Amino acid sequence: MLSEEHVKGETALSGRASARLTAPDVRTEFGLETLDMNMGPQHPAMHGLLRLVLELDGETVVRCDPIMGYLHRCQEKIAENRMYPAVIPLTDRLDYFANMHMEHGYVLAVEDMLDVEIPPRAEAIRVLMCELMRIASHTPSIGFLMLELGAFTPILYSFRERERIQTIFEAVTGARMMFHYIRLGGVKADLPPDIPEKIWEYIEDLESNFQRDFVDLIEGNEIFIARTRGVGRITPEKALEMGLTGPPLRCTGVDMDLRRDYPYSWYPNVDFDVITDEGGDVEASYRVRIKEILQSIRIIKQVLENLPEGEVMADMGRRIRPAEGEGFGRVESPRGEFAVHVVSDGSDTPYRVHYRDPSFVNMQLLQEIIPGHYLPDIMPIMGLIDPVSGGWDK
Amino acid sequence: MLEILNQEPIRFILAFGATIFLVLNLAAILTMAERKVAGYIQMRYGPNRVGPRGLLQPAADVFKLFTKENLAPTKADLWTFLIAPIAMFLPAALVWIVIPFAPGAVIADLNVAIVFFLAITSISSLGIIMAGYGSRSNFSLLGALRGAAQIVSYEVPMILSLLGVIMLTGSLSLVDMVSNQAGGFWNWHFISQFPMFLVFYIAGLAEVQRVPFDLAEGESEIVGGFQIEYSGMTWGLIQAAEFAAMGVISAVAATVFLGGWQPPLPFLDLGQFNFIWLGLKVSLIIFTFQLIRWSLPRFRMDQLMDLGWKILVPICVAWIFVTAAAMLVF
Amino acid sequence: MAIRLPEGDLETRLERYQEGLRAHGNIEEYETKGNTVQVTTAPGEVPAVLAAAREELNILHLSFITVVDRQGSFELTYELLDLRGGRVRVKTTVEGEEPVISTATHVYPTANWHEREAYDMFGMAFAGHPDLRRPYMWQDHFDHHPLLKSFEISTKRTFEGLR
Repeated sequence: MLSEEHVKGETALSGRASARLTAPDVRTEFGLETLDMNMGPQHPAMHGLLRLVLELDGETVVRCDPIMGYLHRCQEKIAENRMYPAVIPLTDRLDYFANMHMEHGYVLAVEDMLDVEIPPRAEAIRVLMCELMRIASHTPSIGFLMLELGAFTPILYSFRERERIQTIFEAVTGARMMFHYIRLGGVKADLPPDIPEKIWEYIEDLESNFQRDFVDLIEGNEIFIARTRGVGRITPEKALEMGLTGPPLRCTGVDMDLRRDYPYSWYPNVDFDVITDEGGDVEASYRVRIKEILQSIRIIKQVLENLPEGEVMADMGRRIRPAEGEGFGRVESPRGEFAVHVVSDGSDTPYRVHYRDPSFVNMQLLQEIIPGHYLPDIMPIMGLIDPVSGGWDK
Repeated sequence: MLEILNQEPIRFILAFGATIFLVLNLAAILTMAERKVAGYIQMRYGPNRVGPRGLLQPAADVFKLFTKENLAPTKADLWTFLIAPIAMFLPAALVWIVIPFAPGAVIADLNVAIVFFLAITSISSLGIIMAGYGSRSNFSLLGALRGAAQIVSYEVPMILSLLGVIMLTGSLSLVDMVSNQAGGFWNWHFISQFPMFLVFYIAGLAEVQRVPFDLAEGESEIVGGFQIEYSGMTWGLIQAAEFAAMGVISAVAATVFLGGWQPPLPFLDLGQFNFIWLGLKVSLIIFTFQLIRWSLPRFRMDQLMDLGWKILVPICVAWIFVTAAAMLVF
Repeated sequence: MAIRLPEGDLETRLERYQEGLRAHGNIEEYETKGNTVQVTTAPGEVPAVLAAAREELNILHLSFITVVDRQGSFELTYELLDLRGGRVRVKTTVEGEEPVISTATHVYPTANWHEREAYDMFGMAFAGHPDLRRPYMWQDHFDHHPLLKSFEISTKRTFEGLR
């Protein structure tokens, strides 16, 4: 299975561009040169602060080298110097489009060491918030993809959805982006009494507008299909080799979702489908995201219908001091597998915190699949991976 | 007194001055219209702070642009860099010379007006190349080459799409074309030449580089392309040139295919005020341009070339034969 | 589809993993806890153990590589997922101040950037890595490895210049 070819990877090239690359080298014959170009870190359509060093042959990309580190804060070092509960606000700053998942991953890792019983209501509220967060992250993803293709309008529709969810978050957590809501042992506060009703109202609103604003506007559009079908095509083998997770993996047809395969929190109690698609290209990733939003709606409805009563915080004591050892937390963030590895030496502060961020790992794909595509295809491929700057730079 | 104004050189200079004034205002009005249309498509208001309902926004924008510094990259080819916006703007203004506004109201009734229009609009690709080359930036260069390639290849379907009307009219003059469509909307050329009208419309979109053909600008990949290094009023002039070009293409489309100043029904004839009909038609076409601008994604370069050479050109050639056959039979 | 994801009962699978790993590498310790098989091995054995996991046992996903600075030695954790509920954790300890371990990129290509990150943060050299550059820190002007315990952050020093 692991031949030399496999390791190098057979890059899925789009038709004519690949023919051009494999053609006898015209460049040397005519003494032509390739053009070196820097894309980013200040680029209006780039996802955050990423610099791509490109080598162009006309419009075809010959080499692509992603360079990161422009937003590096060394969160792992900061976490080593803070007490366990004080790390949670930092995790909010990792993937700032899916803060709830980041908090949840870290909290799961520490609770893994603490051996504490989380009240069922807290677990349900965590799942509720995470799924709302997933909608608030997937809708802008679709909007960004369209923006990268040159259509400006969908992003405003998608941000309308995100805005309404942020309003809900504001009522629940007191913050619009950096929530610090999921705490060790539960959640910060119970839902305000009118919030379940408001969420229900919003979800039904979203469902009724969804077809019009996100599917009809985009899906059948000839130009959208021409720009995305077959662009950035990945085989499932390649996807697994590159360690992809989340929508980029599922759009190749690999049926994997941590919520189902490595169940955590309240997910064993809800019923949902894992969305896969056979395409493995940008269009498939768009379809996966669209359908995942509908599955999130389904989960939210189930959680709201069976919201358990009771406490939302376990009794944790004033000082949190896990025994010597290590804990693992792993959640399915909107971008893929977010895993946290915490090592404790028995003191107040973690000895080592390691974040495995999906943006960071999925972005390895860039240098593999971009060569052979045209320059304008870079942006849709970024939309396929949909990395977030705070995530890959930690 | 008025007789003197109608003497040839004076009349021409006055009329041309009026046209330049009109084009500059048109650019401002279209900016405003663009932003309003975008606003309503995107469920927001658009500019609504300066003046009544935001109507003075363009004036404020122009004022702001005049107060901004004109920056040029250190290594730029300064003359090329500065002349480029003018080379883009002037063609858009010049074409208005041959557009008939009302019966007898045309600045210059050239007997080769169509050729004049085609010749003048292709100058704008020169402007784009100058802008891209003069800026000495990789992004600009890519954008300029894309823009030039695009304009050159869409000239072909555009010229071919006009041939049908030229055959029907038997003249290259726009005045003759308008008078050939007199007597109600069923006589307008867009009915007999409908495929040609569509081709002209699409090629026109490509010619003025608007979405889905704004590859030279390519906001999301090459960040504005040829205009990336411009600032202040030089940038403003490029914008004005784009909007003016849009106005010109719409005016030519309205004149050639939609009857120019001819009223849709004979009893609606307004005499000298028939320019209102031309204005309405131009506004309608521009409005559809704007709807397209805010709802479609952008083509890729290879797909753009495919569309131009493999679809639009064959349609035109086929319809020229259909037109010729129909002229022989009827 | 060429991908075969593991099927069947989790417990029998975990047993199979444990036996398979023991058969292919020199395993020092092993332990099965919950859904996790944890094996400890010598640094030199790691590529062989990982290759066994990937090729023989069909564990396709490398989740992450964690390095922990134990002040004098470095502890590496390779976390593998079989994508169907099972986890395999390979642990090893590299002694010395300038640690070297052979790379896992030829087994799991995704290890590429994980190893680059470990190199950046700990100075951990991965022999045979195709492209060992620092992903985060400056390539040329920065000789430190910030996650080492010997790299102290001093809040005082940070604020001194600002006052």
